[in-house]
Amino acid sequence: MFSLAFKNIVFYKGRSVATFLLTFISSILLIVYVSMMDGSHKSMLENALKIYTGAIEIYKKGYRDIGGNEYLLKDVETINKKLSHINGIETYTSRYETYALLSSKEYSTASMIAAIEPDKEAKLSSIKKALTQGVFLNTNSKNCFYMGEGLVKKLNIKLGDEVAFVGTASDDSFAANLFKLCGTFKTGSFEFDSTTAFVSKNYFDELMYAQNKASYISIKVNDLKNVDTINNQINSVLNDNSLESLTWKTLMKTMVEAMEVDSIFGYISLALFLIVIFFVIMIYGFVNISSRIKEFGVLESIGLSKINIFKLLFYEILILTSLAILVAMPLASYICYYYSINPIIIDGISDMYKEYGIVSDEIPFAFEPLRIFYNVLIIYLLNFLSILYPYYYIHTFTPLEASKHV
Amino acid sequence: MFKLILKMAWKNSFLRLSRTILVLIMIAVSMSMMLAIEGLYDGMAENMINKNKRSESGDISIYAKDYRINKEIKHFIKDALPLKREIENIKSVQAVILRVNAEGLASTARKSSFASLNGIDVNAEEKFGKFSEFLHEGEIDVSKRGALVGIELAKTLKLHIGSKIIFSTQDTHGEINSIALKVKGIIQTTNIKLDTSAIFIDIKNMYKLLDITNATASQISIMSEDTQLLELLKQKYPQLDVKSFLELQPMMKMMQDMMFIFNSITFFIVMLVVFVGILGVMYVSILDRVREFGIMRGIGMAYKHIRIQIILESVILAFTGYIFGAIFGILFLLYLGEYGLDLSSFADALESFGYETVLYASIKFSYFTNTFFAIMAASVLSAWLPLRKIKKLNPIEVIKAQI
Repeated sequence: MFSLAFKNIVFYKGRSVATFLLTFISSILLIVYVSMMDGSHKSMLENALKIYTGAIEIYKKGYRDIGGNEYLLKDVETINKKLSHINGIETYTSRYETYALLSSKEYSTASMIAAIEPDKEAKLSSIKKALTQGVFLNTNSKNCFYMGEGLVKKLNIKLGDEVAFVGTASDDSFAANLFKLCGTFKTGSFEFDSTTAFVSKNYFDELMYAQNKASYISIKVNDLKNVDTINNQINSVLNDNSLESLTWKTLMKTMVEAMEVDSIFGYISLALFLIVIFFVIMIYGFVNISSRIKEFGVLESIGLSKINIFKLLFYEILILTSLAILVAMPLASYICYYYSINPIIIDGISDMYKEYGIVSDEIPFAFEPLRIFYNVLIIYLLNFLSILYPYYYIHTFTPLEASKHV
Repeated sequence: MFKLILKMAWKNSFLRLSRTILVLIMIAVSMSMMLAIEGLYDGMAENMINKNKRSESGDISIYAKDYRINKEIKHFIKDALPLKREIENIKSVQAVILRVNAEGLASTARKSSFASLNGIDVNAEEKFGKFSEFLHEGEIDVSKRGALVGIELAKTLKLHIGSKIIFSTQDTHGEINSIALKVKGIIQTTNIKLDTSAIFIDIKNMYKLLDITNATASQISIMSEDTQLLELLKQKYPQLDVKSFLELQPMMKMMQDMMFIFNSITFFIVMLVVFVGILGVMYVSILDRVREFGIMRGIGMAYKHIRIQIILESVILAFTGYIFGAIFGILFLLYLGEYGLDLSSFADALESFGYETVLYASIKFSYFTNTFFAIMAASVLSAWLPLRKIKKLNPIEVIKAQI
């Protein structure tokens, strides 16, 4: 049956070439398009995680929904000790965040002040790497601000200039101090760079009466794929109902949803292409079958069963699809691999979409063999479905009718 | 003769009914899906542009020269009120409004965030851009100390109707001033900047807070469909920064261009595949009837008449498919235009990116005309290859041939 199918493929060249080409195009389209979508989403996520948000963050319940000083973590050292025993955690750090009014000689603006542990932070986020002028903070930094370039621009200050800080301490008392601009940074995230200033936690804890307190603890894991397992371990080690340990999937719900929406639109467009191609493959298959009705009649008359006829059609489409995929898959995989290492660069796209959190001009592809394999299976499935109607059509003829068919 | 050819073409088009139905389904499904996607994407972009215009910039906005670089009170337009009256007197101007904007810190008892306070005249805004349509929750009331808050800012500060907020900013003398406000309404404009940071209050309260006169404004927005108005205003007020909507929001222009490119690529690919589909069917249909054409040539029918018949067959097939595609396409678009595509399960993401949770499609006549010409062109082109085959036929050999 297999050799008969192969002979038919060689004999009906027109249909074979058309099916081969259409399968080839749809395979390339599906593999490359999905790779581009996955790659750009992964890159967006990694960029966001690299900048500031941790893979896992520990909060006191209520801090994220209600906020306020009564929802600060109160015994950070104990939590840190517990975290040190968990495998899979690369590093962790505590952060104390507050909103305050900053004033230079001429201008005032609202800002998020984040008190950080500079040494740990340098390992966990890309804040230190984002340095553009001056110096990054260290544990002993006193009244030093490490400020986003956008914020520096708003306050119209330069390195060494003084900035007045007015805010509320952790005991709800009034807190004010004079800071100096020691360094500036640019992460590329428009909103972050224009609203954030960092300060050393050691110094800020004294000013805000926040010793051993933190807004949350941020955690970097060795492998993002294990984030859920590690989070479960953290929850069991903490064993405290007043705390919540959340992964990036919850912390960055908006971004995750945005990627899902983007994927939905991407798949809708892909579905359109694949459906049209599916119809054309089916039409070519049907046209081919309908011109071979007499042949099937004769085959049935000499004892070929309906199952065998189905097998014949199945082998024909299997061979054609496999041949197309044999060519398409390595080519598409190479495209995905190449652009995963050398991302497409669209100059200015990050500037244009800065308000949407796009921080890079690069659009990398994802090279995931398993994903490519699944996409290949989809193409096989679509092509197998395309023989169902032609088979049904043959099925409606009796062997006698078929052998007399003109 | 032509009547006879048309009759033959019509009958031949439906001779192999199953085959014809498959092609019709292919055209109808691909066309209606394509139109629905095109309408949905256009609808998204148009809706966003329309709301951005109505909520902020209008068709044209005027600022003082340096304001957009340094948003300080000293860069406000000092004589905005007489300027507004002047512009209102231009015939093609539909509406003009003044806005006063200040950036600062918005604080509740528990949370604080960067925010932008916008002093507006609610009645003028209603006339300008139907402001009340942006209301998501509560009521449009900025009387006394009432405030309307952008939906994303409300989420950040955990605000609800009745919440109290303090907004602090620098006044015209460089002093820090604060105003206590009560949230009366939550606003969703789909303009990211406004939704994430805007608090709207009565413009009179803004004058008091910043200690400025009522002739001052940070922005003058104009609604007008007159394409010449921008140049006219630029010439008339060279000392001011006069900008069109797309100059102020280049991202919208880029989004529109990207939608156009994406729709064009989709259109091209779908039509190419439709062409391949029709071509295959036409080719086989001609091959099936080579003897018939040989006999027709043999009894004296001119090649040009056979050519017309084959082209007509292809056109009839494509046109019938087009009709079904157009009907299903209109139905899809009407449904999506009326009820939209509900993506409220992704509300957080859509709202933070400036989209509405229900996306509505737009319907344009050009969708149908473009598709009509493309499908007709595909059908005529798909007859070309089989025609070459017929042209080369030797009637005697063909009649003898066993197909």
